[in-house]
Amino acid sequence: MMRRAAVGLVGVLLLANCGGGTTPPSGNPATATVAAPKPDIKIGLATAKSGAANFYNPQQSNGALLAVDQINAAGGIAGAKLQLIVEDDGSVRDQGITAFRKFIEQDKVVAILGPTLSAVAAGAHPVAQAGGVPVIAISNTGLGIVGKCEYGPCDWIFRASLGEQSAVPETVKAATQKLGLKKVVIIYGDGKFELDDLTIFKEAFKANGVTVSKEIAYTAKDVDFAPFVTQAKGESPDAVVASSLAGPAGKILDEVAKQLPGKRVIGGNGLNSAALLSNANAGLIVVGTAWSKASTDKTNTDFIAAYKTKFGADPDQFAAQSYTAMIVLADALKRSGNATDRAAVKKALEGVSSLATPLGAFSFTADHDVKQPTFVMTVKDGQFIPFQ
Amino acid sequence: MDAVLDLLRTYSTTIAVIGVSALLALSVWLTLYAGQLTLGNAAFMGVGAYVSALLGRLLDAPFPLALLIGAFAAAVLALPLGVIVFRLRGVYLAIATLAFGEIVRVILLATPITGKGQGLNGIPPKTELWHIYLSLLVVAYVLWRVQGSTIGRAWAAIREDEIASASQGIAVGQHKLAAFVIGALIAGWAGGLSAHVTFSIDPSDFGFTKAVQVLVFAVVGGVPNVLGPILGAGVLTALPEVLRPLKDYRDIFQGAILLLVIIYLPRGLVTFIDVRRTRRLSRIGAVDVA
Amino acid sequence: MAEQLYNAVFIGSIYALFALGFALVFSVLDILNLAHPTVFMLGAFAALFAIGTLGLPWFVALVVAVLFTGLFGIVLDRVAFAPLRSRGAPALSSMISSLAVTLIVVRLVELRYGGDFITFPAGAVPAFVLRVGDATFEGVRLAIVVLSIALMLVLTYILQRTQLGRDLRALAENPRAARLLGVDVERAIAVTFFVSSALGGLAGVLLAFAYNTLDSKMGVPLELRAFTVMVVGGMGSLPGAVIGAYILGFGEVASLVYLPTELRDAFAFGLLFLVLVARPTGLLGQKSPDRV
Repeated sequence: MMRRAAVGLVGVLLLANCGGGTTPPSGNPATATVAAPKPDIKIGLATAKSGAANFYNPQQSNGALLAVDQINAAGGIAGAKLQLIVEDDGSVRDQGITAFRKFIEQDKVVAILGPTLSAVAAGAHPVAQAGGVPVIAISNTGLGIVGKCEYGPCDWIFRASLGEQSAVPETVKAATQKLGLKKVVIIYGDGKFELDDLTIFKEAFKANGVTVSKEIAYTAKDVDFAPFVTQAKGESPDAVVASSLAGPAGKILDEVAKQLPGKRVIGGNGLNSAALLSNANAGLIVVGTAWSKASTDKTNTDFIAAYKTKFGADPDQFAAQSYTAMIVLADALKRSGNATDRAAVKKALEGVSSLATPLGAFSFTADHDVKQPTFVMTVKDGQFIPFQ
Repeated sequence: MDAVLDLLRTYSTTIAVIGVSALLALSVWLTLYAGQLTLGNAAFMGVGAYVSALLGRLLDAPFPLALLIGAFAAAVLALPLGVIVFRLRGVYLAIATLAFGEIVRVILLATPITGKGQGLNGIPPKTELWHIYLSLLVVAYVLWRVQGSTIGRAWAAIREDEIASASQGIAVGQHKLAAFVIGALIAGWAGGLSAHVTFSIDPSDFGFTKAVQVLVFAVVGGVPNVLGPILGAGVLTALPEVLRPLKDYRDIFQGAILLLVIIYLPRGLVTFIDVRRTRRLSRIGAVDVA
Repeated sequence: MAEQLYNAVFIGSIYALFALGFALVFSVLDILNLAHPTVFMLGAFAALFAIGTLGLPWFVALVVAVLFTGLFGIVLDRVAFAPLRSRGAPALSSMISSLAVTLIVVRLVELRYGGDFITFPAGAVPAFVLRVGDATFEGVRLAIVVLSIALMLVLTYILQRTQLGRDLRALAENPRAARLLGVDVERAIAVTFFVSSALGGLAGVLLAFAYNTLDSKMGVPLELRAFTVMVVGGMGSLPGAVIGAYILGFGEVASLVYLPTELRDAFAFGLLFLVLVARPTGLLGQKSPDRV
């Protein structure tokens, strides 16, 4: 009885191996006069295709895929083509860890992009760090992702997604100046992202001499937000700050429009969502983003056009960030001297400086964090436009 | 050989999670064996996880000691719970244990030392696979032997007919409490082990979803047999990984498989191992209970 | 203060409307239908489909969505519950099979509409308001408040005064005896699921209209509240479910105003726990808690 169960279990795991990570044949059969094609350079992308964060796709995958296609069409890296292996991290930690392990142990990638959520990264990134594989975080914006990490040294980890630590202070500065803020109320959720944002917002407001007169917490299980905004109303704030994800933010927007007419809603990256654009009250939003669709940089306009042609839809910030991470990686691969040597790629990544990307001029700081301009935006006519 | 080693390294976390899930499923199985339906073991797992992780971080406690204290903390918390709810049965008991679990989770969310909603990150990965599987072996063996013991037979009697058992002199209340507390102990131990596998924990890991998931492992695996929950945990945890190639349709297949098993395999997955017994039981109409 | 009171009434009504269908199935069939949040979500998406793809006006879409979810409820029973019933499986198995159906249906919806939240096409959602003196009441929200009570009254009337209601109560008491007494058990069960799911779907559509957003996970927050509501109000009692819903709604808003924010969530579960321990039958419950 025991033996049958054990055999079954091993069989199940072997089955798992058969399924994942298909490796298409690389290169074409060469004619006698052409040199043998170089093996593909493998890169892993762990992204949330299912689970709580599945709304990041297909944009997040598409951005990276577009970049890979363009790079390969232009000849690849010194003749070697890039191969992007995409795995679903299921928005949960242990699947993210398994995806990373698969990339490292089975696919033997040279670098990894992802995972989508910071909570999943908390488990997956240490695996890459221990395994000596460079990682570029493409949508983690919280604290402790690069530089000073809670699990110890994290020098193999880089971040291409503008951290809230950089974006929020810019947002607060712009909002305080343009709206003449003296007193605000912060409504915040109970997830890691929302709590990180709360800390960052409080510091930023303090630095700008604005009083945070009340902090109102909601939970992921709350359905109606009228009571929270009514509480905020009692403080007569100059603006409401929503440290939240897009879903609750939309409801908060509607309530503020109803109960506090004329007041704006300032938010972190959670409000930076295409889904909010169709909200009737999106015009109240003030948010700092990593990407402005309206930017007239050639790299950006080319990107938007190419994305639209390939996928039939406009890109959003997630796509722009994964696309950027990929071209940053490609730049490092070119300069590394050996695109299959993980340590060489890591060193080359550190040297990325003022690279032209859809996000603007891109560099890595000494802490491996992204250095790029912050775009403070609001919404008009269903589009994000610069906040003035 | 290389490929097999790579395979094992890739799935080392999955294998660890299977082992932990199996331990949790056994903890629920134990209470089910005594006729009690509990949805609180996810919370006890959380207690074990947080206590052991914090002991390691703040007091530099040696790993086995931290695990032990975590497990005992969970068991201690189960005491008042057991006493309070032993009058309830069935669905009411399940909901009460669920409510208790959610209260524990909320307290975890509110206490600053636990890192609140941000969770605890950077937990050193001290758990080795052999820790988990040795624990599993020991617990499974003990529970298997317990089935034939006095206390085990008392539990089975209580499950079948509480009133008759009481009239036979069995201290029903104490036995039920024992099942709860030992179940919590196992869950707390499993929690401590799991906290040191994935580098970080947060309160949402131990909520309603987890509680239901663990119950599903036990029931789908099959209750009458100690092997059942282990099988259920193994298959259901490995399933998402096995179904990876199905990509976007993965969840649909997972749901379909769950549905088919629960409807057509009344004794759970154990049926595949014990086909003869199942056939005999279904002939006499006792297939759901024995 | 008055504003918070109205907020509490509205929240209570949402919980009540959602819980009604859930409580109905439990009171008649002793099943915890964990697919009820999915039916709720399905109603909203059916309305979206009717408005967005079929171009129907909102009131037609509402009716279509409600009918669709009602029928889906019958299918749900046939697929997930009936086979278990016929072999006398324990209630636990029904919970799990409804969970499995949820997994499948939610994923199917996500494949079509994605996992992010969406809004209705502009201008499609009813937006009338009622002005009483100084105050403005939104039409859809008012409708939710009114309907939750009205439907509860209608259902209670049906259960107490009509033949169908008698059949259902006989079924709830003892299915075998009911069959012997000539009750068409199959039809009664189908009706129960139709009504329960239609109610769930209605709640989903109205909520989607009220917030002008819907997403595949919109039923999840309400699921746990439904347990509390049923237990507090009394398992097996429909008026009880509604009263429980309002108690919960008022309690949540009160704890927002008066309690430190972190402990708010503990209120709902603390209340639940207390009721289960002190008075398991709840306020109006008729079922003995010893029924397993």
